[in-house]
Amino acid sequence: MAEPDQGQVNNKGTGTVKKPDKRGQETDNLVIARDENIIRIEHISKIFRTGHHEVIAVNDVSFDVKKGEIFGLLGPNGAGKSTLIRILTTLMKPTSGRAFLDIYEVTKDDEKVRGIIGVCPQNSTLDIELTAYDNLEFYGKLVNVDDNLLDERIWELLKMADLSDRAHSRVSTLSGGMRRKLEIVRAFLHRPLILFLDEPTIGLDPEARREVWQQISMLNTEKITIILTTHYMDEAEKLCERIAFVDHGRLVSLDTPANLKLAMPAGELIELGYDQMNDSIISIIRNNHQVISVEKKDGILQISAKNGSNLLPVLIAEFEKSAITITSISIRSPSLEDVFLYLTGKKFGDMTSDGPVIHSGGSL
Amino acid sequence: MLRGAIAIFRRDFKKFTSNPFMLIMTLAMPIMYLLIFGNAIGGTITGIPIGAVQEQPYVHETALYSAGIDQLERFHTQPDKPALFHVRVFTGEPMAKKALADGEIMAYVVFPSDIEPARTIRLYMDSSEYTVPALVQSGITGAIAATGAKNPIEAVNVYGVIDYLQFFGVGVIVMAIFMTTMFGGGLALIRDREMGIIEGYFVTPVKRSSIILGTIGSGTVKAFFAGFIIFLIDIFIAGVIIRSPDDFLLVLLVLFMTSIGVTSLVVSLASRFSSQQEYSSVIAFFSLLLFMTSGAFYPVLGMPSWLRWITVINPEFYAVQALRSIILRGQGISVIWFDLLALAIFSAGAIALGIMTYRRTLE
Repeated sequence: MAEPDQGQVNNKGTGTVKKPDKRGQETDNLVIARDENIIRIEHISKIFRTGHHEVIAVNDVSFDVKKGEIFGLLGPNGAGKSTLIRILTTLMKPTSGRAFLDIYEVTKDDEKVRGIIGVCPQNSTLDIELTAYDNLEFYGKLVNVDDNLLDERIWELLKMADLSDRAHSRVSTLSGGMRRKLEIVRAFLHRPLILFLDEPTIGLDPEARREVWQQISMLNTEKITIILTTHYMDEAEKLCERIAFVDHGRLVSLDTPANLKLAMPAGELIELGYDQMNDSIISIIRNNHQVISVEKKDGILQISAKNGSNLLPVLIAEFEKSAITITSISIRSPSLEDVFLYLTGKKFGDMTSDGPVIHSGGSL
Repeated sequence: MLRGAIAIFRRDFKKFTSNPFMLIMTLAMPIMYLLIFGNAIGGTITGIPIGAVQEQPYVHETALYSAGIDQLERFHTQPDKPALFHVRVFTGEPMAKKALADGEIMAYVVFPSDIEPARTIRLYMDSSEYTVPALVQSGITGAIAATGAKNPIEAVNVYGVIDYLQFFGVGVIVMAIFMTTMFGGGLALIRDREMGIIEGYFVTPVKRSSIILGTIGSGTVKAFFAGFIIFLIDIFIAGVIIRSPDDFLLVLLVLFMTSIGVTSLVVSLASRFSSQQEYSSVIAFFSLLLFMTSGAFYPVLGMPSWLRWITVINPEFYAVQALRSIILRGQGISVIWFDLLALAIFSAGAIALGIMTYRRTLE
């Protein structure tokens, strides 16, 4: 990564947000490729010390986020995602390193940074004793939304969250999904440049998760950059344009979901169930040029192969020739979970207790 | 059954011993009771400021006058304690009267002139303090008797007869303010922190001064209303008398100043705590300490000098003193200005402290 030159960074095309007058003009001719990047993180580390104990929550992480994209921070619980978000949202100071949001550095211009971000933290920060409307109104005043526009904006957002009829209900009477949606639109109240969503669907049922996803996609059409942390693979795959894998405070990999999958040496995964196995067939399968690896495991033969859907009829024919009965067949594309497993050498689902990791791909 | 009981016992006990702060606070309370409560209440009252003056026409100092002053200065209720009175000699009755009205002395004795036939000794007392008037009267009677004079004594309660309920009722106004602030302003701030609502504020451009001022503002209004309600109860039930609309407005001013001062103190403390339990124990400690040394229960004159130092920095002392001046003695701004100034300085200090120490980040 190039060393950024903070004085000359411009943010052309920001559109909705007014910049201080002094800047604009003189920096226009210095537009560089970096303009595209609304967030630049440079060697951020965060070490927590409790007594003699040290925990490295974020370990020398650097990456950029492009303007207008939905960017996913993906990793198991405790990987350092929330700490990174807290650093970027000025709630914590990094132990070392710098991070720029738009033209502002998070530790030096923290007040300016707070003016351009919207945050939906992992744990609810709604006041459950107030109504949905009052929560938005209160927040609107904190984030300096013009009083003349505030009421209209609140109704617009309540409509967006499908909560117009519950505007004057106390938040304590709303369901988890409704609260989540309310909190997300609240973060968006002042049309921030960057929206941080920390585990937006944690603890929600599938129906509510889908609604939250819809809402996030809808917000993204308003040209706003969204940083999303999650430990749900499907969520990241579905929503994010680019994904950063984080594990043990380190950035493991960063790319589009499709490219991340390409990085896997294995193609598709074919699983064939059997009653009895004959070793000769395994060597026959191994010799097929499409096959990458074959493994026998608890009555199931796991074959990873390039272009697996073409290979499958061939395999079935081989089994028939050898008179081995196939009890089950499944084929699936590698999921992000498989990619993560491959990159970190550990199981993702093991570390989460909040919900199942949903596999992508289908079975025959 | 026993196994479960032991498990619960151990869990509770572990939490108790692992938090040294709570341990200290649980001990601090009874120790404070012992030291403060024991000393603040029921102590021997000494050094009551009184005046002495000889009646007009003043020809020369009478024997009774000089012997009387001498005895008053030497009068002791208990041999090992300082003198009961602190005597100030006035040259004319109007001067003594003014000093009493301004709260500089708590009583004055008028010795008769030579030409007065009945030779009555007149005694004027500030009746608004608890037990002090009775002590003054018996002390002066005793001192005069010690001179061997047989003159009749005529005692006048300058502010009428004030019973303990009225005396104490004024102190309770201040207590109401403190209680409301403790549970309203401070605890709300900590609950917000515990519930994570604070984290929601912190990512907005709102300044920490705004957070503190907003919290102090709402706490002040709540505390003011609580104090006002007790004030009304004092009027309608305890029977305190408000002499003029000016006095009424002055009381409201003092209530307001007290509310700001106490709320600011509580909010500044609250902004450093993240657990309700710790905060509550500290505030309960302060609440008792400040209330007991405020003079609401018992005259400050009865406290040992080390305890009076707490009184000097205790906003509730000034509040109680100002309220008594207005409500029980009908004194005006000329007497209470110092109390108001003290409350203002205290509030400003507490607000500044609150803003400076407030953590704007989660660490």
